[in-house]
Amino acid sequence: MIKYIIRRLLYMIPVLLGVSLIIFVLFNVVSGDPTAVLLGKNATAKQMIDLREQLGLNKSLFAQYLDVVKSAFTFDFGYSWATKQEISKMILQGALPSLCLSAPAFIISTILSLLISIFVAYYRGKGIDLFVRVFCIAGMSISALAYILFFQWFFAYKLGWFEISGFEASFPELISYIALPAIIWIVLSIGPDVRFFRTVILDEIYQDYVRTARSKGLSEIKILLQHVLRNALIPIITYVVIQIPSLILGALLLENFFSIPGLGGMTLNALNASDFPVMKAMAILSSVGYIIFGLISDILYTVADPRIKLK
Amino acid sequence: MNTNSLWKDAFFRLTKDKLAVASLVIVLAYFIIAILSSLGLIASGWSQEVGASNLAPSIDHFFGTDIFGRSVIMKVIRGTQVAMSVGVAASLIAIPIGVTLGALAGYFGGWVDDFVTWLYTTFSSVPNIMLLISITLILGKGIFSVYVALGLTSWVHLCRLIRGEVLKHREREYVQAAAAIGGGHLRKLFRHILPNVSHIIIINTSMQFQVAIKSEVILSYLGLGVQGEPSWGTMIDDAKLELVRGVWWQLAGATLAMFFILLALNILGDALRDALDPKLKGK
Amino acid sequence: MTPTSLLSVRDLVVEFQTGEGIVRAVNNVSFDIPLGKTIGIVGESGSGKSVTSLAVMGLLQKPAARIPQGEIYFNGQDLLKYNEDQMRSIRGNQISMIFQEPMTSLNPVFKVGEQIAEALRIHKRLSAKEAWEKAIHLMNQVGIPNPSVSAHKYPHEMSGGQKQRVMIAMAISCEPQLLIADEPTTALDVTIQKQVLELLHKLQQEYKMSMMFITHDLGVIGDIADDVVVMYRSNVVEKNTSNNIFMGANHPYTKGLLACRPKLGANPRRLLTVSDFMTEEGQEKIVLPERIQIFDKEMVEDKSEKVLLEVQDLVTQFPIKGGFFGRTVDNFKAVDGVSFKLKKGKTLGLVGESGCGKTTLGRSILRLIEPAAGKIIFDGKDITNVNHEELRQLRKKMQIIFQDPYSSLNPRMTIADILTEPLKIHNEGGSNSQRIDMARELIEKVGLKSNQMNRYPHEFSGGQRQRICIARALMLRPEFVICDESVSALDVSIQAQVLNLLLDLQEEFGLTYIFISHDLSVVNFIADEVGVMYAGKIIEMDKASRIYKSAKEEYTRALLSAIPKGETKNSSGLMV
Repeated sequence: MIKYIIRRLLYMIPVLLGVSLIIFVLFNVVSGDPTAVLLGKNATAKQMIDLREQLGLNKSLFAQYLDVVKSAFTFDFGYSWATKQEISKMILQGALPSLCLSAPAFIISTILSLLISIFVAYYRGKGIDLFVRVFCIAGMSISALAYILFFQWFFAYKLGWFEISGFEASFPELISYIALPAIIWIVLSIGPDVRFFRTVILDEIYQDYVRTARSKGLSEIKILLQHVLRNALIPIITYVVIQIPSLILGALLLENFFSIPGLGGMTLNALNASDFPVMKAMAILSSVGYIIFGLISDILYTVADPRIKLK
Repeated sequence: MNTNSLWKDAFFRLTKDKLAVASLVIVLAYFIIAILSSLGLIASGWSQEVGASNLAPSIDHFFGTDIFGRSVIMKVIRGTQVAMSVGVAASLIAIPIGVTLGALAGYFGGWVDDFVTWLYTTFSSVPNIMLLISITLILGKGIFSVYVALGLTSWVHLCRLIRGEVLKHREREYVQAAAAIGGGHLRKLFRHILPNVSHIIIINTSMQFQVAIKSEVILSYLGLGVQGEPSWGTMIDDAKLELVRGVWWQLAGATLAMFFILLALNILGDALRDALDPKLKGK
Repeated sequence: MTPTSLLSVRDLVVEFQTGEGIVRAVNNVSFDIPLGKTIGIVGESGSGKSVTSLAVMGLLQKPAARIPQGEIYFNGQDLLKYNEDQMRSIRGNQISMIFQEPMTSLNPVFKVGEQIAEALRIHKRLSAKEAWEKAIHLMNQVGIPNPSVSAHKYPHEMSGGQKQRVMIAMAISCEPQLLIADEPTTALDVTIQKQVLELLHKLQQEYKMSMMFITHDLGVIGDIADDVVVMYRSNVVEKNTSNNIFMGANHPYTKGLLACRPKLGANPRRLLTVSDFMTEEGQEKIVLPERIQIFDKEMVEDKSEKVLLEVQDLVTQFPIKGGFFGRTVDNFKAVDGVSFKLKKGKTLGLVGESGCGKTTLGRSILRLIEPAAGKIIFDGKDITNVNHEELRQLRKKMQIIFQDPYSSLNPRMTIADILTEPLKIHNEGGSNSQRIDMARELIEKVGLKSNQMNRYPHEFSGGQRQRICIARALMLRPEFVICDESVSALDVSIQAQVLNLLLDLQEEFGLTYIFISHDLSVVNFIADEVGVMYAGKIIEMDKASRIYKSAKEEYTRALLSAIPKGETKNSSGLMV
């Protein structure tokens, strides 16, 4: 087990190098010279040379690549071009609002989806199952943007149940700002989640061991909750854990619409301002998160499934 | 003489599913609209004023007019052209890359497999939305960047699927039998294995097409997508400000257009899986 | 219903709703299982025997399957009138069941002890601790070594035989009155099969259970059943005592089934098949006397002296990965120093249990897997290290027929494509239409119709597909063919036909065979010489006609004694 974890940890290195390479190629090679954009049309040659030195762009490409790699390990991303702030500080500030929205929304939507899919699996093939499936597919076919726009307009603007936008970090006030985006998050996730969970559960229901359990005289509900769910949880855990890093990134669009000062909103601002360092930082940060949680989900997988023997 | 290839069987099964046939018709209709629009046969006058500003839907103007008095339905049609072209372009980039890499990795194993696995692990480690907005930002706003960005992100999933499936088929006895009669690598891979995993490409494409359409809408909404042309995404962006004034028809038009193609692709994807995936047969 | 019968099935009909319409899987089936007796239900695949057992358990998949007619009396009560709750209190408690696949029938994520204890907790209301202790006691009873430790194991940590013992422990935990065993030994090696059968018999006596034993293998029946019900195409064709079945079956199908299985020792020149006893329409036929004539291979003059294939000290190994970076830390020798000579026109049978290396040996000889050491000399030429092009040329002379007729044909190619492909690869046979003519000729030789050439493999039955595989192997007119478990996946009556076909073709084309099988009686029938494999080595090799009489090795004798005799203890006594 320890050996497996170490081996997986070591495999993170080439993947991180690869991720750095993609980001480096995009932002340092393909992008061309950003100084002209940054300084505007009237920049002198001297200004441009100075700025290039300041941004570390006069270094060799290899040295620039090493800078990218280094930032992936040290989380030292330098300064924003747009706000001139230290990026790591911006990230720390943005993480809390993002998590305030994403964490509760994620937990509620996962539990809710799981409950619905168990319920639907129990009544598989019946009317309610069909109804939920149609509902999921139809729900998934509506653009996320349409949900956000409509919900914001209807519940916040028209009915005035929630704040239209903004953020307050102190407790009860927080809820009136967070509730609506969180509800939209849940509505958006339930479709794909239920669809996936239901498929996984039904895959297990047709296995031979379920027939054995029936031949022992177990009730359908016991078979579902004990035998089937225990097996289905293995892929479900993986699916859920792998989504956790995206919580840090927050919901790009939701934060944008509701003016929540989180990381997602920050990323979009950086996008609009062509603020490369912040974009790079967010790309690296979210990739590192993804890699780490990928590792965690792999380890959980091996813990949850006794069949996998680790050497 | 009655002959039934597995493809024919699958098509027959598909045609028995009325919902799937309806979905297929819808998808084809979208393609025809997109082609007609790109040939300039319909909606070519989308940029002309056809009435007053922000007219509500009526018999004359099905989806009303936008702020400049342009017909919303024509904009929806132009948006259809953009969305479908993105789906096609992304598939045209993703399928050759994904299939080639996946097949080579699965078939040859060894260092080829190590390399390809590393490559797709790396690509899938960068969250899709980050990769998409970064690529479009760097390549410059516009529809071409959206094609490339989606092509470069959507090969990953297909590659992983093809690799896994080829790996499985490589050990099957019919491939061993091909080796035993003296067939080389090329024959084994292209004549024997690939036709047996090709259904994966079709099923996956119907899924990736949805992802491409959704992504295009979001990228266009963010101002990264098509420039100077209507897209469902830019229409929704317009609607953001219009909604408070009670102008809902741009949002409705774009959302409905998107809804039907996504719904049809979704249902078709499921039906294709049932019809083509022999694993699920007999269930 | 007779007063002493525990279970009484009356005029049972089961139908399935399929894409093609309604299929009747069980048609007017009636039989009784008396208290404390074992009834064997025998039939080939698709005969309806398993469906019958699932109907008794109330485990048929409901919307698809329905029972329009019939009664199933258990202790005088019609189970078909029970609701789901009543059925549940019977299942696992008074009637329990063992399935064919011990590999997939246990829940992979629960300890086996828990799985055995589960039924006790539901039906006998035992506490967790009591149930666990009872489970350990049961595991001891079914012969699992060190039960208090083994109870903590997960199913994948046990062998197939042990898993089946766990299934049995689970099934008898509530001391049921009726035990249904659905092909409980089919997936097991023959020596393990023998142990499991003995265990079932012992438990049946101890617990005074009735047993419904379902199998495709009449041979097994003699060891375990008192009475036999023979099913054929959804119908019961014969009900009889075991003794009578083996002494003189009534129905021609039963006779055919008994005769088509090769016996250890003397057999006719070609195996009898069901079609020798019965016409397609089910009418009885008189068996031609020359078909039963015993044939002694020793009597055939050994004309051929030419050695076609010689294998010297062949070793094939697979790396065992370990350590940090998955380096190769050791090698597992699947074939470990095998040597033999095979004369032209003869058949070498290789027999052994799963994992003994017989399949790897076959593929190494053809260099589908590269051997690590040793020599392969084919037709006087050392082919161990020949290059790619020479090897390609060699493929014309040496061919292989695989085990699974379902996966060994490319499902996306027509039969014509499949058969002409070898010719295309080697650029032989002239024009395309000439190639098709050759294929047509061969397809008729293997017993199929030449107008089926444009069909796809999935349109054929298992036996027909195996004939197509044989035709493909013969398209290049090879001298040497390896048959790797080529009849193992087939029903016994089909198996006999394919074995006969292989012998016919051998005679016509002068073929040399290596015949690999787990089944000693099949090997004994088809081979001139038999090699017994164990742990990568050939431990004993002798003339087929001698090895079953005078095996020297302990292991060979164990294999031999484990083969079901196809007779009851009484009937064998009477025959003497």
